[in-house]
Order: sequence, then structure tokens, then C-alpha cells
Amino acid sequence: MIFVVFMRDYNLYTKFMINLTKPILILSVIVGFLCGDTQSSKDIYAGDTYTEIEVAEGGTVVGNVKYGGELAALSLNLYADMQVPDTSKPTSEKLIVSSINNGLKNAVVSITNIKQGKKKTVPLIHPLVDQQKNTFVPGTLPILAGTTVDFLNGDEELHNIHTRSTKNQPFNLGTTYKQRISRTFEYPEVIKLTCDIHKKSYAWIIVLDNPYFDVTDRNGYFEICDIPPGTYKFQVWHEELGNLEKEVTVHPKEITNIEFNYAQNW
Amino acid sequence: MKPKVLLGKVGLWSATAVASAAVMLCIAPTTARALNVPTEVTELGKNTYKKYCSPCHGEEGKGDGPLARSMLPKPRDFTRGAYKFRTTPSGSLPTDEDIFRTISYGVPNSTMIPWDILTEEQRLSVIPVLKSFSEAFEVRKPDAPVDVGLEVRPTERTIAEGKKIYEEKLECWKCHGVEGRGDGPSAGEQEDDFGFPIKPFDFTTGKFKGGNSSRDVYLRFTTGLNGTPMPSFAKELSDEQRWYLTHYVMSLVKPEDKEKK
Ligand code: HEC
Ligand code: HEC
Repeated sequence: MIFVVFMRDYNLYTKFMINLTKPILILSVIVGFLCGDTQSSKDIYAGDTYTEIEVAEGGTVVGNVKYGGELAALSLNLYADMQVPDTSKPTSEKLIVSSINNGLKNAVVSITNIKQGKKKTVPLIHPLVDQQKNTFVPGTLPILAGTTVDFLNGDEELHNIHTRSTKNQPFNLGTTYKQRISRTFEYPEVIKLTCDIHKKSYAWIIVLDNPYFDVTDRNGYFEICDIPPGTYKFQVWHEELGNLEKEVTVHPKEITNIEFNYAQNW
Repeated sequence: MKPKVLLGKVGLWSATAVASAAVMLCIAPTTARALNVPTEVTELGKNTYKKYCSPCHGEEGKGDGPLARSMLPKPRDFTRGAYKFRTTPSGSLPTDEDIFRTISYGVPNSTMIPWDILTEEQRLSVIPVLKSFSEAFEVRKPDAPVDVGLEVRPTERTIAEGKKIYEEKLECWKCHGVEGRGDGPSAGEQEDDFGFPIKPFDFTTGKFKGGNSSRDVYLRFTTGLNGTPMPSFAKELSDEQRWYLTHYVMSLVKPEDKEKK
């Protein structure tokens, strides 16, 4: 009897899709919200609208993000120069610090208050997040809103990719060897990816609403170019260490050097 | 499982499948009608929610009502729009019909009872209230429900094919265990999106939270359970293979075991 009821009910579903088409509000100002694992997105991107212009006399900002704590040298995973990243470890280490210059890897540098600048170009070749040996590679991926990211299972076993975003539609998909999944991220948000089968592996996708950003390499270096001359707020985000901010003046056709230091208090 | 028992079951299923197909054909046209879900939060909805739902789900839908404290599984926190039992793809919001179904049938093995003591109007009226708790319903709308093809007839072969998928291709056993008892190697450390411990479903109990029909089971692993580690296996299988897997999963049900205990 119960079975019959079920079948009837499902028939209702498929026959009648009442579409409550609430208008999709495309909010240009996005309010930060709470999400267990997701950090408040408010912290990381500019909330204002952005106008695309020709940037002829743009300047460049290059720099270095450092982790200054003593601890760095002692207990953290150190990368000697020339060493390829060790992906055989089953986790993405939270703090990856260069033993040469204390440079911090996987920190995202962005300009948070830029109102106009170069064209927002979504990459045609989708950035790839690969699950290799139970590790997401790369561990931190900043992208421009609207970018499609490909997820690849590079291991000969089952993985899943699980996100917990609210604005960007979350997903949790099981993937087998060589399965490739594409997802587009429309809204600025800080999103954590996890694999539930291998609890320790995770990665971050940072969706930003202007094209001025970079992620630091393994010696902590970054470069952001074609910035219209002016004074801007530069911000660094790191999953463990949080945010740092700095005002920087960009001059026409010049390279400005800056440094961020997550200092001792850690 | 002994082949005899299995065949008995298969026989039963095909009988039910045929019967229900017949039922669908003759009943559906007369009973089929659109659910009349209010588009706005109404007084009736607010009052019904406050009286019957908020003790567990909380005044603001955060799953933190006074009764929730010592409860596991926790009452759903509605603020993220993460609903487990849907006909829509992974991550999508549920349709109103999905929500209505859960409210009407409840969630077995939890404190969420079937709310058949409420009138249909009351059950419908709380739907906009639940949705108003999450901004997700403002920025997104549900994707179209996934296609469920016609069920293939369960036979020993479909079950054997399903077993291969369960054990080799998709490795469901990693969480659900080889015998489906919810005790696979990755089972121990699972958490839901809200940080509460969650167990992979024990198929042997047979009390599927999202419903016991083969269509329900098919939908669960096709769409995944949002807000939980249970992934969607949308791209991995053909429609036929999904039915094989469904038949295998259902063959793991061993209610007699439970009765002995
Ligand atoms: C006694 C506590 C309790 C009360 C009262 C209660 N619920 Fe629940 N509800 C739960 C629990 C516990 C769950 C989670 C079950 C699970 O995840 O296994 C749940 C889950 C749900 C879900 C989630 C469905 C999904 O797909 O994830 C909906 C919808 C829901 N309840 C609606 C209601 C409504 C509407 C009312 C009031 C008419 C109500 N509940 C009253 C305990 C309760
Ligand atoms: C990462 C671990 C994981 C994997 C892998 C996994 N599951 Fe699950 N599954 C879960 C969890 C956890 C739940 C329980 C969610 C709950 O209780 O709300 C679940 C629930 C289910 C349900 C819902 C039962 C119900 O109560 O309605 C079905 C059906 C299911 N899984 C089938 C499968 C199949 C088939 C596979 C392989 C294709 C699979 N699962 C792989 C973790 C997993």
C-alpha cells in the first residue's frame, strides 16, 4: 500500500513542476554570510561595481609574502630551493614556507577597492584542480567570477569533491579515474573543497570580482600588472593566517615592490 | 544471500513494479494535481511552523530549537538551503514537491515524523517559511529534476551487475561497507556540512530515509544528499547501470537480521 502511495506521489512531482520563479537577484554588493567552513567572503573581494577601461599607462606591483614566525623554520614543512612540491603527502599542508626567504606559498594577493581597470577576461582554458595521490593540486586557486574550473580525478580510485558554498551552487560529486567535471563559479566567495573519502585532503577556490589578483609561488612571490595609476588597498589572504592589508600607490609604467609579513604573533 | 531468497525477492519486486505501473497508469490522471504552494509566507505558515516545527528546527530555522540539543541526527538547519532528499541534481535546491514529500512522509530513523496530523494546507503553508530562512532561495532556483528512466526488470543478472558497480567501479563500500552495513573503511570519520557526525546509511535495515521504493534509491545516489558526505554519482553511470546498482543496494536489505536482535 505504501508503495502505491509513493508511486503516485512521484508521478505528481514529474507531472507538475510548479516553478516558483523567484527572480534571481544579481547582487553586485554581496553581503558576507556565515558558513561553517567557508570564511566570510566579505573579507576578500571588493564589493563595488567595476568598470572595464583601456589601461595604457598601467603600473605593476610585484612583491613577496613572508611568514616571519620562528616556528616556521622548526615545525613546518619546508621547501628547499629547486625541490619539486612533494605531493606524496596525503594532505595539503596549511603553511608552506620557503626555507630560503621565509616566503609563504598559496597566499592570495588581490586589490580590494579597485573601481575600474583592465578587462575581466575569463580564461578559455579552464584552470584545473587535480586530485593526485589523495591531494588536491593546486591547493589554492584564485579565479575571476565567471570562470569555469575543471576537476580531474587523477587517481585510480574513487574520490569525491564536496563544496559548501551558498551563493555559488554547492556540489558533492563522486568521481572515478580520469573523470573530469566542469563547474562555473559566478559569485565572489571563498570556497573550500573536500574529499570525504580521504578526510585530510582539501583545497580552496577563491572567487574574486576583479582581475587584479595572484597567488604566491613557493618562495612567496606574486605579480599583478596593468594597474591604472592610483592608490589602492592590497590584501593578502591565507587560509591559516587570515588577512593582511596595505595601501599601495601605483605609478604609470613603473614596477612597485611591496612586502607583506605575517609576523611574529604566530 | 541465498539464491532462493534472492529470487523470491526479485519476483516480489517485479510483481510490485508491474502493479505500481498499472496503478500509475490508472490512478495518476485522476489524482494528479498541482500542489498549491503559497508564493509568500502566510500567517498560517508562520503559525504552523512556530507551533509544530520550531521546537526542533528553531525560530529562525537554524536547527537549534530547544528540543534539538541532545538529538542526533540534528534537525535540519535550513539556512543554507541544503536539503538531503531531492529529485534535483547535486547541490541544487529542492523543488517544493521534494520538501512537501519529506514533510508528509517524515524521515525514518530520526525524530522527524510524518506530519500527517497536519492538513495538507498546513503542510504546504510551511514551505515558503522554510525557504525564507535561506538566502540561497533568493539567488538561485532549483535545477530541473533529474531524468529517471523506466526501471529495468530486476533479475539475478541486474543484481550481479550492480554488485560490480558497488564493489569495483564506484566503490560504495568505502563508506557503506562491503555488506552494506555502513561500516566501510572511510565510515568512521564522516561529518555533515554542519560539523555533526554522520554515518553512511546501513542498507541492511531497509528503512531508507528518503523512501523505500526503487525510484527513491535510484534518486538518492544519482542526486546525492546535499549537506552530507554522500556524493552524487551523476556522470558515472548510464540509466541502466543505475537500475542495476539500485537493485543491488536493495538486495542488501536484510530486515530479518534486525528482528532477531
Ligand atoms: C522532534 C523534532 C522535529 C520536529 C518537531 C520537526 N522536525 Fe523536521 N527534522 C527533524 C530532524 C531530526 C531532521 C533530520 C533528519 C535527518 O537528516 O536524518 C528533520 C528534517 C527535516 C527536513 C529536511 C528534509 C531534507 O531533505 O533534508 C524538513 C524539510 C523538515 N524537517 C521539515 C519539518 C517541518 C515542516 C516541521 C513542522 C511541521 C518539522 N520538520 C518538525 C526533526 C524535527
Ligand atoms: C563518502 C562516503 C560515501 C560514499 C562513497 C557513498 N556514500 Fe551513500 N551515504 C553516505 C552517507 C554519510 C549517507 C547518509 C546520509 C544521512 O544519513 O543523511 C549515505 C546515504 C546513502 C543513501 C540514502 C539512504 C536513505 O536513507 O535514503 C543511499 C541510497 C546511498 N548512500 C547509496 C550509495 C551508493 C549506491 C554509493 C556508491 C555509488 C554510495 N552511497 C557511496 C556516504 C557515502
